[in-house]
Amino acid sequence: MYITAASTISHQPTFRNKGFAAGLTVLARPSALLHPDYKSFIPAMNRRRMSDVLAMAMACSVDCLEQCGVAQPDAILVGTSMGSNFFTKTFLDKIANASGPMISPTAFILSTHNTIAGQISLFLENPNYNMTHTQNSLSFEQALLDGMFCLQNGDHHVLVGAADESEDVLYNLNARLKTMDAHATCGASFFVLSAEKSAASPPVRLVDVGSFGLIGDDLSPYVLEFLQVNQLTPDQIDLVLYAGTKPATENALRRMFAGPVLLDYQVFSGVYYTNPAFALHYAVDLLTGERPPPVGNILICNNLIPENLGLLLIDTENARHGTLD
Amino acid sequence: MKIYVTGIGVVSAIGSNVDEHRYALEAGRTGIRFSESHNLMLGEVPQSDEALAKRFELSGDDHSRTALLGLAAASECWAGNKPDGQLRTGLISATSVGGLDRMERYYLQAKQNPSLDIHPLMIHDNGRTTETIARALGITGSYIGTVSTACSSGANAIMLGARQIESGRLDRVLVGGSDPIALFNIKGFSSLMIYDPDICKPFDDARKGLNLGEGAAFLLLENERSLSQTGNTPLCLLAGWANATDAYHQTASSPEGRGATLTMRGALAKAGISPEVVSYVNAHGTGTDNNDLSESAALKNVFGAAIPPFSSTKGFTGHTLAAAGAIEAVFCVLSILSDATLPNLNFKTAMKETGFVPETAFRKGSQIENVLSNSFGFGGNCTSLLFQKLH
Repeated sequence: MYITAASTISHQPTFRNKGFAAGLTVLARPSALLHPDYKSFIPAMNRRRMSDVLAMAMACSVDCLEQCGVAQPDAILVGTSMGSNFFTKTFLDKIANASGPMISPTAFILSTHNTIAGQISLFLENPNYNMTHTQNSLSFEQALLDGMFCLQNGDHHVLVGAADESEDVLYNLNARLKTMDAHATCGASFFVLSAEKSAASPPVRLVDVGSFGLIGDDLSPYVLEFLQVNQLTPDQIDLVLYAGTKPATENALRRMFAGPVLLDYQVFSGVYYTNPAFALHYAVDLLTGERPPPVGNILICNNLIPENLGLLLIDTENARHGTLD
Repeated sequence: MKIYVTGIGVVSAIGSNVDEHRYALEAGRTGIRFSESHNLMLGEVPQSDEALAKRFELSGDDHSRTALLGLAAASECWAGNKPDGQLRTGLISATSVGGLDRMERYYLQAKQNPSLDIHPLMIHDNGRTTETIARALGITGSYIGTVSTACSSGANAIMLGARQIESGRLDRVLVGGSDPIALFNIKGFSSLMIYDPDICKPFDDARKGLNLGEGAAFLLLENERSLSQTGNTPLCLLAGWANATDAYHQTASSPEGRGATLTMRGALAKAGISPEVVSYVNAHGTGTDNNDLSESAALKNVFGAAIPPFSSTKGFTGHTLAAAGAIEAVFCVLSILSDATLPNLNFKTAMKETGFVPETAFRKGSQIENVLSNSFGFGGNCTSLLFQKLH
């Protein structure tokens, strides 16, 4: 299956900026979310009622569908660690400040984790399969895997994305507790997964996705088995994009991957639980840029929470197994 | 490929295990009571957090009630099974509350006292509650996932488990859902003004709304390979499933029951059966004006004039949100095992728009072969599951 569209709103100039990966610099601290002008994607009246996470997800979705000329995806899948946090907090504030029994329901009805996927469906008037995965740092991988199932079951194009917001105090505190020196950011990335390749060259294949929870303290056996299932050895991987708790993750990967370039993608994305989606767009952009580097197989290794491991494997068809044609 | 249901576990206002649920369903005994503290009819699970934490030897205030209720149901379902390196075993849970029950307490207190310990925030994410259940059962190093699609979540976790097995990635998977009663939801459904001040009356012309409930349920799904290793006795098959979106409104269902029609038809198509052979439908039937009318329209779309026996069991448990689809899936399995339709409590008068009369008794009679279970949630999220007797 192929990645036929990608769109990201983040703290970096990623949105509608093909080729961004080549010029990306380490994210400065502090940094801010780079909101696009939403008017071209969302009617202004709708935008006013949306939280940032909804606006980001909606704009990325519309952008993706435009890129590949798909009007209605066969499925909409979203991974989000914290869901509709802004409206959750808003409604808690309403509970705290209520003087009588009457509270406006608006924040409540937009507070569920599936508000993002549901609102995309409503916006597109799309009646198809609609799913929301919320497994903290593995939310995106689980949505992507579900998208692979959809294609295996006969769907042609599915919209898969990840979105998390961080301006909210709860999420910031939570992220800080997990990785004390982390640069907490946020973002949304959406993709179209298609059964057939598009005209875009070179086509980027999504080869496999792995989601492993409660792995203990050694990720190596999981990574090696994942590669083996896909008939690859570590030396056939050209680039490993990783996120983890230094130095444990990096050390484990260095022991396994002698040859390939190891890159901590969080220096670009900052820390949020669904940032593997940022890494995926970064990788797709590298492979489809003006002057793609001599890279065939890319592994994205998400060890954001030490006990959890997400693995994404992508390649270009003309560059299999580390020997570039 | 056949997906076997080989284990069930459930906790709700009507019982703390499968047997207690069977007795309550048979006796028509509701678990919904008036809560003095909330001034509201609620389907509360009597066990306290402390009692549940003690039972599972979990310490302190670290665990949300979502995880504790989930563990009560999951451990009953998993009993007698053990981790096995030869079998790829996963766990997929559903929740809408996650750690919000703990977090809301902290958040509301912190408004008064900003120097409070921020530790309770660490259990806010949904995934954490699922991990607590998985860790306690020894299911580690594999697919441990959470889906959250509001009130259809439980059914979606079951469906996703079936899809995992079908894809060949898992041999067996524990699937279900858990939601405690959180202040957030008490106030939320109150703001929507959809409570019945008395006990709920699904599909009744005088229905006024829903009652909130809490609970959890899990099912163990296995493929043939797993069965041959575990030697478990299958209870029935999970033969069909479908998810679709109403694409009508964030919280209201379309008058013509678009999404529900798509999912019931989809689940029947997946199972390869025609509507005439459906023995019983366990409806979503929340007791709200909107849901029951929309769901009735969908039943009419799918079954025409020959509506099969149907009922809503929300009058027993209340609406348990993300757990509902899982709890009602366990009820469907019990319906098949007992060859009985389940009663719709508090029904008196048919809705004037439809004239539909649900099952009002635990009725044994004809064989229960195929049972449909409906779950619908915010975001227009609709799911139907089809359970089938094993011959």
